[in-house]
Amino acid sequence: MRGLFFLTGLLFFALAQPIPNTPPPDLSPQVFEIAKTLRCPVCQGESAAESNAGIAVEMRRIIAEQLAQGKSEAEIRRFFVERYGDWILYEPPARGLTLWVWLSPLLGLGLLVYGLWRYQARIRAQAQRLAAEVPEEEIARLEAELKRSANGD
Amino acid sequence: MLRFWPVWVLLLGGLFFWGMQRPNPNELKSVLVGKPAPSFSLPLLEPYRPTFGEEMGISPGLDKPVLLNIWASWCIPCRTEAPLLERYYQQYKDRVLFLGVNVQDREEEALRFVRQYGLSFPSVYDGRGRIGIEYGYYGVPETFVIDRSGIVRARHAGELNQAQLEAYLRQVRP
Repeated sequence: MRGLFFLTGLLFFALAQPIPNTPPPDLSPQVFEIAKTLRCPVCQGESAAESNAGIAVEMRRIIAEQLAQGKSEAEIRRFFVERYGDWILYEPPARGLTLWVWLSPLLGLGLLVYGLWRYQARIRAQAQRLAAEVPEEEIARLEAELKRSANGD
Repeated sequence: MLRFWPVWVLLLGGLFFWGMQRPNPNELKSVLVGKPAPSFSLPLLEPYRPTFGEEMGISPGLDKPVLLNIWASWCIPCRTEAPLLERYYQQYKDRVLFLGVNVQDREEEALRFVRQYGLSFPSVYDGRGRIGIEYGYYGVPETFVIDRSGIVRARHAGELNQAQLEAYLRQVRP
């Protein structure tokens, strides 16, 4: 009987624990999905979804209000971009200087491939040049040597 | 590739130089600069109502330059900035509208702050900081300089010093 009480108590205790990382019930998960893509202006490295700073709370409230008004995700993001610039977005659009940031890994990879290809080509050319430089009699001597060692002399 | 090392050195050096020339990342440029200041009207803090009315804000046709200062009572730099703003308000009150916006604050704390520093320029109350977001603010204190025709001329993030305040006022005063 005591065991049953203990188990029931344990069950209630487990149920009373907050489920981690779930949004509070008053705001829909969609609000947090959008807020996750926006910076919290007063925080270092935190999105408007994670921060509890007053400004981030208000941003989430604005998002919720605009969703209720039937605005799309893009429209809501544009609302913040019009006030803060592209800086507010965690994934800045690929244009201007940002385009270079997006392209630089590809550019780096291209340069690496080009460098490797050039290196390979040089090694191959060097090998061919060396092979061409060996005199006929040297080749004949080496072949004879090989034949001799193959015959077990 | 290594044969061209002077080119690489020059390219890298150029990149570093360009990096050094870029604007200070701590200096936050506002997208509002050069654009009309967002309009708003908010209730004034109680002590200002007899003189200025129930509400105050920015609206087109104000025909007066505005120094919009966003502040909060819990903000330490606002405490050093408040007496400076008060001093310049006394000097410029006929020519420039000094308007405080109290954000993310409790009204009674804001009132205590106003009393403590004897602030006579009007301040409106924006508890949730919504007007702050309208103006794209990063924190407190933050000051927006708006010219006579309602165009935002500058944004200053952080505490103002005397020289900066004078320069901003020179920029917009008639």
